[in-house]
Amino acid sequence: MPSVPRHLELHPPLVNGSGLLCFLEVFQHLDRQRAALGGYVTKSIGPEGRPGNVAPVVYDTGHVMLNSLALPTQPIESWIEDFRSLPVQKPVIGSVYGNRVEEWPEVISRVEAYVAGIELNLGCPNYVPGETSLMTVVGDSPAMMREVVGLARAATAKPLIAKLSPNTDYLAAARIALDAGADYLGCGNTAGPGLAIDIEAARPVLSGISGGLSGDAMRPVNVKMVYDIYREFRAPILAYGGVSTWRDAVEYLMAGACIVGLGTCFAYRSTRQMARLTRQIWEGMQRFAGSRDVTHLVGAAHV
Amino acid sequence: MYEVCTIVENRLENPRTNTLFFDRTFSARPGQFFMVWLPGAGERPFSLAYPNGLTSKVAGEFTAALMELKPGEKLWLRGPYGRGFPLKDGFLFIGGGVGIAGLRLLADRVGRPRFLLGGKDAGEILYHEELARLGEVRVATEDGSLGMRGLVTDLLPAGGEHVAICGPERMMAACLSRLTQRPSKIYLSIERYMKCGIGLCGNCSCSGRLVCTDGPVFTASELRRMPDFGRRRRGKTGAWTDI
Ligand SMILES: Cc1cc2nc3c(=O)[nH]c(=O)nc-3n(C[C@H](O)[C@H](O)[C@H](O)COP(=O)(O)OP(=O)(O)OC[C@H]3O[C@@H](n4cnc5c(N)ncnc54)[C@H](O)[C@@H]3O)c2cc1C
Ligand SMILES: Cc1cc2nc3c(=O)[nH]c(=O)nc-3n(C[C@H](O)[C@H](O)[C@H](O)COP(=O)(O)O)c2cc1C
Repeated sequence: MPSVPRHLELHPPLVNGSGLLCFLEVFQHLDRQRAALGGYVTKSIGPEGRPGNVAPVVYDTGHVMLNSLALPTQPIESWIEDFRSLPVQKPVIGSVYGNRVEEWPEVISRVEAYVAGIELNLGCPNYVPGETSLMTVVGDSPAMMREVVGLARAATAKPLIAKLSPNTDYLAAARIALDAGADYLGCGNTAGPGLAIDIEAARPVLSGISGGLSGDAMRPVNVKMVYDIYREFRAPILAYGGVSTWRDAVEYLMAGACIVGLGTCFAYRSTRQMARLTRQIWEGMQRFAGSRDVTHLVGAAHV
Repeated sequence: MYEVCTIVENRLENPRTNTLFFDRTFSARPGQFFMVWLPGAGERPFSLAYPNGLTSKVAGEFTAALMELKPGEKLWLRGPYGRGFPLKDGFLFIGGGVGIAGLRLLADRVGRPRFLLGGKDAGEILYHEELARLGEVRVATEDGSLGMRGLVTDLLPAGGEHVAICGPERMMAACLSRLTQRPSKIYLSIERYMKCGIGLCGNCSCSGRLVCTDGPVFTASELRRMPDFGRRRRGKTGAWTDI
């Protein structure tokens, strides 16, 4: 087990959340549009290609988003072809998952040469009806969590992020993940899950029935998760959840995050507008930090 | 999130294509699209052909279900999404097959339109009479059952200050090489596999641009910088297929 944590060099300390924008050519394009993202996180890559749920896969109330994409992924060979042919200038973090414990290190060993770090998606609450999801099981099962993170640690020497669910005992999960060798904690995946019923149709809207909550209204849930985990472990944290302004990003830094992810805020925007939004967020963060580096804000709310 | 409408008429355009008219209109810029939900069948992207209607060609289960809808049944729409066509006079319209549906709304909103329409047979030439009332229509069919025998590209080059094209991607790519208008004046409506429709999931990427929020209408000068146009698309797993 390594004693020195591995660092992600991300300037600015902003990324997209996994599953948002997903593909390497989109990252290339955002980079051409001068997005102020220091790195990009891939869609979660699994052991074999799968379509996930068919639409409807998103439900938007205007305050909170539900999604039930349920981990669509192109076949791993196709990912590798993309890694080879679609080079991205900024560091790319490979998000991964397995359906069985032994698949996690297999996926990691196939993609790790092409990425700057690995993020373990340990907390996706979505599933395809009829299918049992291992992802939530990992989040809920300490033994499995220890095994998966340990196998992942053995499979890569690169920075390892354990992205946790806010819907479980995340302090226990964080402790296990850190003990098993994770360098960063990802806080966190979508909340809930929730369910929306269309009353005219008299049935759930999402084809996955329920879906993870993201966006503005769930931010306090993940801010608390970051705050609690930072207070307990002072570990490096990547925060996700409901960031759409520089103030939200600063809030996460103060709660204890050192890297902030953006996701649902991209909705309804063109790629040009997405890139502009990331610049506004980064400029606002720097303005707020004034003459000091934004890293001085990390954990500032802990008195 | 959805606006619900009731079907008042299901007009058969040809054996595989129908137009559904609603009990209400939707405001959308021509070229924008809606995600259309039919509970139980799924949700798919469609552009409107009329302020109160859409035209659909059977491509699989969902469009087959649309074909069967009866007056009184309901449809759920969310949108309008994306970037449509500019409203300018003097458009040359080039439509192929059900792609003509993607141009129908624009035809009503601009002055001095002219139309070049292509299809396999006369049945595929949608709205022929309606469009002929708006401007000159020239037709090419593969079997020669209407207009000239051949492809719509055989009718090119042709005049027009701006060009609006919607049809199969190979046809659109072939048109580009025969048009003499400046690329910045040529607008094409393109399709990719959409899931969220609102710029989150990335599945509809074409060379990194999102068809749902950057498009679906792009200029030919933009498409020049999108090498996947005419070449490959991502399917529902994200895996590539050739066009
Ligand atoms: C912006 C846009 C506007 C469109 N407007 C119209 C229109 O006005 N009239 C019309 O007939 N068709 C239109 N389409 C195409 C229409 O969405 C597909 O024909 C429909 O989704 C097929 O569904 P299915 O279940 O019948 O077929 P399936 O068996 O699911 O698929 C058949 C083929 O349809 C296409 N398709 C399927 N699902 C999607 C999806 N979610 N997004 C994009 N393409 C898909 C794919 O090429 C697929 O190979 C439009 C597509 C887009 C992206
Ligand atoms: C459409 C969509 C797809 C997502 N897919 C994934 C995924 O594949 N893997 C993952 O770890 N998280 C996924 N997430 C969760 C996000 O990465 C992020 O943790 C969460 O959405 C909270 O951030 P936000 O409110 O800024 O969107 C997805 C979220 C959305 C909205």
